[in-house]
Amino acid sequence: MVGRIFSVLCILSFVSALCTGRLSLLSDAVLEGAARAVTLTLSLLGMMCLWCGVLSLLQKSGVLTRLCRLLMPILRRLFPTAAETGEGIEEIAMSISANLLGVGNAATPFALLAMEKMQAKNPEPDRATDDMVTLTVLSCASLNLLPTTLLAMRHAAGSDRATAVVLPILLVSAAGAVIALLLARLGCRRRRTGC
Amino acid sequence: MIQLAFSLLVPAVLLLLSFYLLFSKSVSVDSFLLGARSGIDTSFRLLPTLVLLMVGVSMLSASGFPELIGRLFSPLCQRVGIDAALLPLIFIRPFSGSGSNALLLSVYEQNGVDSRTGFLASVIAGSSETVFYVTAVYFSAVHIKKTRHTLPAALLTMAVTVVLAILVGGWFYDKG
Repeated sequence: MVGRIFSVLCILSFVSALCTGRLSLLSDAVLEGAARAVTLTLSLLGMMCLWCGVLSLLQKSGVLTRLCRLLMPILRRLFPTAAETGEGIEEIAMSISANLLGVGNAATPFALLAMEKMQAKNPEPDRATDDMVTLTVLSCASLNLLPTTLLAMRHAAGSDRATAVVLPILLVSAAGAVIALLLARLGCRRRRTGC
Repeated sequence: MIQLAFSLLVPAVLLLLSFYLLFSKSVSVDSFLLGARSGIDTSFRLLPTLVLLMVGVSMLSASGFPELIGRLFSPLCQRVGIDAALLPLIFIRPFSGSGSNALLLSVYEQNGVDSRTGFLASVIAGSSETVFYVTAVYFSAVHIKKTRHTLPAALLTMAVTVVLAILVGGWFYDKG
Protein backbone atom coordinates (compact mmCIF):
# COMPACT_ATOMS: atom_id res chain seq x y z
CA MET A 1 0.00 0.00 0.00
CA VAL A 2 2.89 2.35 0.74
CA GLY A 3 4.21 1.37 -2.68
CA ARG A 4 0.99 2.44 -4.34
CA ILE A 5 0.90 5.78 -2.49
CA PHE A 6 4.52 6.41 -3.50
CA SER A 7 3.81 5.59 -7.15
CA VAL A 8 0.86 7.98 -7.23
CA LEU A 9 2.99 10.74 -5.64
CA CYS A 10 5.81 10.12 -8.12
CA ILE A 11 3.60 10.14 -11.21
CA LEU A 12 1.71 13.23 -10.07
CA SER A 13 5.02 15.00 -9.40
CA PHE A 14 6.42 14.16 -12.82
CA VAL A 15 3.30 15.24 -14.67
CA SER A 16 2.96 18.51 -12.78
CA ALA A 17 6.70 19.23 -13.01
CA LEU A 18 6.40 18.79 -16.78
CA CYS A 19 3.47 21.20 -16.87
CA THR A 20 5.10 23.85 -14.69
CA GLY A 21 8.58 23.40 -16.13
CA ARG A 22 10.21 22.52 -12.83
CA LEU A 23 11.72 19.17 -13.78
CA SER A 24 15.16 20.39 -12.74
CA LEU A 25 13.96 20.85 -9.15
CA LEU A 26 12.90 17.23 -8.67
CA SER A 27 16.27 15.66 -8.00
CA ASP A 28 17.06 18.06 -5.17
CA ALA A 29 13.62 17.39 -3.75
CA VAL A 30 14.34 13.65 -3.65
CA LEU A 31 17.47 14.10 -1.56
CA GLU A 32 15.78 16.64 0.65
CA GLY A 33 12.82 14.34 1.26
CA ALA A 34 15.03 11.42 2.27
CA ALA A 35 16.95 13.65 4.66
CA ARG A 36 13.73 15.04 6.09
CA ALA A 37 12.49 11.52 6.90
CA VAL A 38 15.55 11.05 9.09
CA THR A 39 15.25 14.42 10.84
CA LEU A 40 11.55 13.74 11.41
CA THR A 41 12.27 10.34 12.94
CA LEU A 42 14.99 11.75 15.15
CA SER A 43 12.93 14.73 16.26
CA LEU A 44 10.01 12.44 17.13
CA LEU A 45 12.21 9.86 18.83
CA GLY A 46 12.17 11.49 22.25
CA MET A 47 8.42 11.77 22.25
CA MET A 48 8.01 8.17 21.07
CA CYS A 49 10.23 7.05 23.95
CA LEU A 50 8.41 9.17 26.50
CA TRP A 51 4.89 8.14 25.52
CA CYS A 52 5.63 4.45 25.11
CA GLY A 53 7.28 4.51 28.53
CA VAL A 54 4.41 6.43 30.09
CA LEU A 55 1.95 3.99 28.59
CA SER A 56 3.63 0.99 30.12
CA LEU A 57 3.75 2.77 33.49
CA LEU A 58 0.04 3.53 33.23
CA GLN A 59 -0.60 -0.12 32.43
CA LYS A 60 1.47 -1.35 35.36
CA SER A 61 -0.21 1.05 37.77
CA GLY A 62 -3.69 -0.12 36.83
CA VAL A 63 -4.86 3.38 35.92
CA LEU A 64 -5.39 2.25 32.38
CA THR A 65 -7.49 -0.77 33.31
CA ARG A 66 -9.83 1.53 35.20
CA LEU A 67 -10.07 4.02 32.33
CA CYS A 68 -10.78 1.15 29.98
CA ARG A 69 -13.54 -0.26 32.15
CA LEU A 70 -15.14 3.18 32.11
CA LEU A 71 -15.05 3.36 28.31
CA MET A 72 -15.93 -0.29 27.72
CA PRO A 73 -19.59 0.25 26.66
CA ILE A 74 -18.40 2.37 23.71
CA LEU A 75 -15.22 0.41 22.97
CA ARG A 76 -17.08 -2.90 22.80
CA ARG A 77 -19.27 -1.57 20.00
CA LEU A 78 -16.45 -0.07 17.96
CA PHE A 79 -13.69 -2.62 18.53
CA PRO A 80 -15.50 -5.89 19.31
CA THR A 81 -12.54 -8.27 18.88
CA ALA A 82 -10.02 -6.17 20.78
CA ALA A 83 -12.55 -5.55 23.56
CA GLU A 84 -13.27 -9.24 23.90
CA THR A 85 -9.69 -10.50 23.88
CA GLY A 86 -8.29 -7.45 25.66
CA GLU A 87 -5.41 -7.35 23.17
CA GLY A 88 -4.66 -3.73 22.37
CA ILE A 89 -7.89 -2.29 23.77
CA GLU A 90 -6.04 -0.25 26.42
CA GLU A 91 -3.75 1.22 23.77
CA ILE A 92 -6.78 2.03 21.59
CA ALA A 93 -8.47 3.79 24.52
CA MET A 94 -5.31 5.80 25.19
CA SER A 95 -4.85 6.72 21.53
CA ILE A 96 -8.41 8.01 21.22
CA SER A 97 -8.17 9.90 24.52
CA ALA A 98 -4.85 11.46 23.49
CA ASN A 99 -6.38 12.61 20.21
CA LEU A 100 -9.42 14.03 21.97
CA LEU A 101 -7.38 15.87 24.56
CA GLY A 102 -5.14 17.45 21.95
CA VAL A 103 -1.99 15.48 22.77
CA GLY A 104 -1.80 14.46 19.13
CA ASN A 105 1.87 13.48 19.26
CA ALA A 106 1.02 10.82 21.84
CA ALA A 107 -1.84 9.38 19.81
CA THR A 108 0.48 7.94 17.16
CA PRO A 109 2.72 5.85 19.45
CA PHE A 110 -0.36 4.57 21.30
CA ALA A 111 -2.09 3.60 18.08
CA LEU A 112 1.07 1.90 16.78
CA LEU A 113 1.31 -0.15 19.99
CA ALA A 114 -2.37 -1.06 19.57
CA MET A 115 -1.74 -2.17 15.98
CA GLU A 116 1.15 -4.36 17.14
CA LYS A 117 -0.95 -6.00 19.85
CA MET A 118 -3.82 -6.64 17.46
CA GLN A 119 -1.48 -7.96 14.79
CA ALA A 120 -0.12 -10.54 17.24
CA LYS A 121 -3.59 -12.13 17.35
CA ASN A 122 -4.42 -11.63 13.70
CA PRO A 123 -5.39 -14.95 12.04
CA GLU A 124 -4.47 -13.56 8.58
CA PRO A 125 -1.29 -11.55 9.17
CA ASP A 126 -1.23 -9.77 5.79
CA ARG A 127 -4.84 -8.62 6.01
CA ALA A 128 -6.17 -5.86 8.27
CA THR A 129 -8.71 -6.91 10.91
CA ASP A 130 -12.00 -5.04 11.40
CA ASP A 131 -10.65 -3.32 14.50
CA MET A 132 -7.48 -2.18 12.74
CA VAL A 133 -9.53 -0.61 9.96
CA THR A 134 -11.80 1.14 12.47
CA LEU A 135 -8.86 2.49 14.46
CA THR A 136 -7.07 3.80 11.34
CA VAL A 137 -10.14 5.40 9.79
CA LEU A 138 -11.02 7.01 13.12
CA SER A 139 -7.46 8.35 13.47
CA CYS A 140 -7.79 9.81 9.96
CA ALA A 141 -10.75 11.87 11.18
CA SER A 142 -9.10 14.48 13.31
CA LEU A 143 -11.39 14.71 16.32
CA ASN A 144 -9.94 16.86 19.06
CA LEU A 145 -11.37 19.22 21.62
CA LEU A 146 -8.78 21.95 21.15
CA PRO A 147 -6.61 22.29 18.02
CA THR A 148 -3.60 23.75 19.84
CA THR A 149 -1.11 23.81 16.95
CA LEU A 150 -3.58 25.54 14.66
CA LEU A 151 -4.43 28.15 17.30
CA ALA A 152 -0.73 28.83 17.82
CA MET A 153 -0.33 29.33 14.05
CA ARG A 154 -3.30 31.73 13.96
CA HIS A 155 -1.91 33.70 16.90
CA ALA A 156 1.49 33.87 15.25
CA ALA A 157 -0.11 35.12 12.03
CA GLY A 158 -1.58 38.02 14.02
CA SER A 159 -5.22 36.96 14.15
CA ASP A 160 -7.57 39.17 16.19
CA ARG A 161 -9.89 36.29 16.90
CA ALA A 162 -7.74 33.20 16.75
CA THR A 163 -10.13 31.10 18.82
CA ALA A 164 -13.18 31.84 16.64
CA VAL A 165 -12.44 28.67 14.68
CA VAL A 166 -12.64 26.35 17.68
CA LEU A 167 -16.40 25.77 17.62
CA PRO A 168 -16.78 25.18 13.86
CA ILE A 169 -13.76 22.84 13.91
CA LEU A 170 -15.26 20.91 16.82
CA LEU A 171 -18.61 20.54 15.04
CA VAL A 172 -17.09 19.53 11.72
CA SER A 173 -14.58 17.10 13.16
CA ALA A 174 -17.23 15.52 15.40
CA ALA A 175 -19.39 14.96 12.31
CA GLY A 176 -16.29 13.60 10.56
CA ALA A 177 -15.65 11.13 13.37
CA VAL A 178 -19.24 9.85 13.24
CA ILE A 179 -19.02 9.43 9.47
CA ALA A 180 -15.64 7.69 9.81
CA LEU A 181 -17.01 5.20 12.34
CA LEU A 182 -20.11 4.52 10.27
CA LEU A 183 -18.11 3.92 7.08
CA ALA A 184 -15.53 1.76 8.84
CA ARG A 185 -18.08 -0.41 10.60
CA LEU A 186 -20.40 -0.66 7.59
CA GLY A 187 -17.48 -1.87 5.50
CA CYS A 188 -16.76 -4.54 8.09
CA ARG A 189 -20.37 -5.67 8.26
CA ARG A 190 -20.67 -6.03 4.48
CA ARG A 191 -17.95 -8.64 4.55
CA ARG A 192 -19.49 -10.64 7.37
CA THR A 193 -22.83 -11.05 5.62
CA GLY A 194 -20.89 -12.09 2.54
CA CYS A 195 -22.31 -9.68 -0.07
CA MET B 1 -8.71 29.31 30.83
CA ILE B 2 -9.56 26.15 28.89
CA GLN B 3 -6.26 26.48 27.07
CA LEU B 4 -4.46 26.53 30.43
CA ALA B 5 -6.29 23.39 31.57
CA PHE B 6 -5.27 21.61 28.38
CA SER B 7 -1.68 22.69 28.71
CA LEU B 8 -1.56 21.27 32.24
CA LEU B 9 -2.81 17.88 31.12
CA VAL B 10 0.52 16.27 30.25
CA PRO B 11 2.34 17.50 33.39
CA ALA B 12 -0.64 16.26 35.45
CA VAL B 13 -0.36 12.77 33.98
CA LEU B 14 3.37 12.74 34.76
CA LEU B 15 2.69 13.97 38.31
CA LEU B 16 0.20 11.14 38.83
CA LEU B 17 2.76 8.64 37.60
CA SER B 18 5.45 10.06 39.87
CA PHE B 19 3.21 9.31 42.88
CA TYR B 20 2.84 5.74 41.67
CA LEU B 21 6.60 5.48 41.26
CA LEU B 22 7.12 6.72 44.81
CA PHE B 23 4.43 4.85 46.69
CA SER B 24 3.44 1.75 44.75
CA LYS B 25 5.43 -1.44 45.05
CA SER B 26 4.28 -2.96 41.76
CA VAL B 27 5.23 0.08 39.65
CA SER B 28 8.93 0.58 39.01
CA VAL B 29 10.88 2.74 36.64
CA ASP B 30 11.91 -0.43 34.78
CA SER B 31 8.55 -0.62 33.07
CA PHE B 32 9.03 2.94 31.81
CA LEU B 33 12.46 2.07 30.47
CA LEU B 34 11.20 -1.08 28.75
CA GLY B 35 8.31 0.78 27.15
CA ALA B 36 10.56 3.62 26.02
CA ARG B 37 12.94 1.10 24.50
CA SER B 38 10.10 -0.37 22.44
CA GLY B 39 9.31 3.17 21.25
CA ILE B 40 12.81 3.44 19.81
CA ASP B 41 12.43 0.15 17.99
CA THR B 42 9.11 1.22 16.49
CA SER B 43 10.55 4.56 15.32
CA PHE B 44 13.45 3.00 13.50
CA ARG B 45 11.34 0.24 12.02
CA LEU B 46 9.17 2.94 10.48
CA LEU B 47 12.08 4.89 9.00
CA PRO B 48 12.17 3.09 5.61
CA THR B 49 8.45 3.77 5.12
CA LEU B 50 8.95 7.40 6.07
CA VAL B 51 11.84 7.81 3.63
CA LEU B 52 9.67 6.60 0.76
CA LEU B 53 6.73 8.78 1.78
CA MET B 54 8.77 11.91 2.43
CA VAL B 55 10.63 11.59 -0.87
CA GLY B 56 7.28 11.38 -2.66
CA VAL B 57 5.78 14.31 -0.75
CA SER B 58 8.90 16.42 -1.22
CA MET B 59 8.83 15.79 -4.99
CA LEU B 60 5.15 16.65 -5.10
CA SER B 61 5.62 20.00 -3.38
CA ALA B 62 8.66 20.87 -5.52
CA SER B 63 6.86 19.96 -8.75
CA GLY B 64 4.36 22.80 -8.37
CA PHE B 65 1.44 20.40 -8.02
CA PRO B 66 -0.40 22.55 -5.44
CA GLU B 67 -0.31 25.64 -7.68
CA LEU B 68 -1.25 23.57 -10.72
CA ILE B 69 -4.34 22.16 -8.98
CA GLY B 70 -5.28 25.68 -7.92
CA ARG B 71 -5.07 26.95 -11.49
CA LEU B 72 -6.86 23.96 -13.03
CA PHE B 73 -9.87 24.08 -10.76
CA SER B 74 -10.18 27.82 -10.22
CA PRO B 75 -12.95 28.31 -12.88
CA LEU B 76 -14.99 25.56 -11.23
CA CYS B 77 -14.36 27.10 -7.82
CA GLN B 78 -15.51 30.53 -8.89
CA ARG B 79 -18.75 29.05 -10.10
CA VAL B 80 -19.45 27.40 -6.72
CA GLY B 81 -18.20 30.43 -4.83
CA ILE B 82 -15.10 28.96 -3.14
CA ASP B 83 -11.79 30.78 -3.14
CA ALA B 84 -9.32 28.83 -5.29
CA ALA B 85 -6.60 29.64 -2.75
CA LEU B 86 -8.03 26.82 -0.60
CA LEU B 87 -7.43 24.14 -3.23
CA PRO B 88 -3.67 23.52 -2.78
CA LEU B 89 -4.29 23.09 0.95
CA ILE B 90 -7.12 20.61 0.40
CA PHE B 91 -5.05 18.50 -2.00
CA ILE B 92 -1.82 18.45 0.01
CA ARG B 93 -3.46 17.91 3.40
CA PRO B 94 -3.96 14.10 3.01
CA PHE B 95 -0.26 13.60 2.22
CA SER B 96 1.73 15.83 4.50
CA GLY B 97 1.25 17.70 7.75
CA SER B 98 4.24 20.01 7.36
CA GLY B 99 3.36 20.65 3.71
CA SER B 100 -0.21 21.62 4.53
CA ASN B 101 0.93 23.83 7.41
CA ALA B 102 3.19 25.70 4.98
CA LEU B 103 0.27 26.16 2.59
CA LEU B 104 -1.95 27.32 5.45
CA LEU B 105 0.64 29.95 6.35
CA SER B 106 0.79 31.15 2.76
CA VAL B 107 -3.02 31.49 2.74
CA TYR B 108 -2.71 33.56 5.95
CA GLU B 109 -0.06 35.75 4.33
CA GLN B 110 -1.80 36.27 1.00
CA ASN B 111 -5.44 36.50 2.07
CA GLY B 112 -5.13 37.57 5.69
CA VAL B 113 -5.65 35.29 8.67
CA ASP B 114 -9.00 36.91 9.53
CA SER B 115 -10.32 36.96 5.97
CA ARG B 116 -13.06 34.55 4.98
CA THR B 117 -10.53 32.44 3.09
CA GLY B 118 -8.14 32.39 6.04
CA PHE B 119 -10.97 31.35 8.31
CA LEU B 120 -12.14 28.55 6.03
CA ALA B 121 -8.56 27.34 5.54
CA SER B 122 -8.18 27.10 9.33
CA VAL B 123 -11.39 25.09 9.69
CA ILE B 124 -10.39 22.75 6.85
CA ALA B 125 -6.89 22.19 8.27
CA GLY B 126 -8.21 21.78 11.82
CA SER B 127 -10.86 19.21 10.97
CA SER B 128 -8.92 17.00 8.56
CA GLU B 129 -5.98 14.66 9.00
CA THR B 130 -3.06 13.44 6.91
CA VAL B 131 -5.00 10.42 5.63
CA PHE B 132 -2.35 8.78 3.44
CA TYR B 133 0.41 9.39 5.94
CA VAL B 134 -1.55 7.92 8.89
CA THR B 135 -2.70 4.88 6.92
CA ALA B 136 0.75 4.16 5.53
CA VAL B 137 2.46 4.48 8.91
CA TYR B 138 -0.10 2.44 10.85
CA PHE B 139 -0.20 -0.48 8.45
CA SER B 140 3.45 -0.61 7.54
CA ALA B 141 4.29 -0.80 11.25
CA VAL B 142 2.64 -4.23 11.30
CA HIS B 143 3.44 -5.25 7.70
CA ILE B 144 -0.14 -5.43 6.49
CA LYS B 145 -0.70 -5.32 2.75
CA LYS B 146 -4.45 -5.81 2.44
CA THR B 147 -5.90 -2.71 4.03
CA ARG B 148 -9.47 -3.47 2.82
CA HIS B 149 -11.80 -0.47 2.95
CA THR B 150 -9.50 1.74 5.05
CA LEU B 151 -8.46 4.22 2.36
CA PRO B 152 -11.85 4.56 0.63
CA ALA B 153 -13.56 5.11 4.00
CA ALA B 154 -10.92 7.58 5.21
CA LEU B 155 -10.88 9.55 1.94
CA LEU B 156 -14.68 9.70 1.72
CA THR B 157 -14.74 10.93 5.32
CA MET B 158 -12.22 13.61 4.45
CA ALA B 159 -14.19 14.72 1.37
CA VAL B 160 -17.37 15.10 3.42
CA THR B 161 -15.41 16.88 6.16
CA VAL B 162 -13.98 19.43 3.70
CA VAL B 163 -17.45 20.20 2.30
CA LEU B 164 -18.84 20.51 5.83
CA ALA B 165 -15.89 22.71 6.84
CA ILE B 166 -16.64 25.12 3.97
CA LEU B 167 -20.37 25.21 4.74
CA VAL B 168 -20.21 25.32 8.54
CA GLY B 169 -17.10 27.51 8.61
CA GLY B 170 -18.66 29.91 6.12
CA TRP B 171 -21.82 30.14 8.22
CA PHE B 172 -19.84 30.89 11.38
CA TYR B 173 -17.75 33.51 9.57
CA ASP B 174 -20.76 35.30 8.09
CA LYS B 175 -22.55 35.28 11.43
CA GLY B 176 -19.68 37.17 13.00
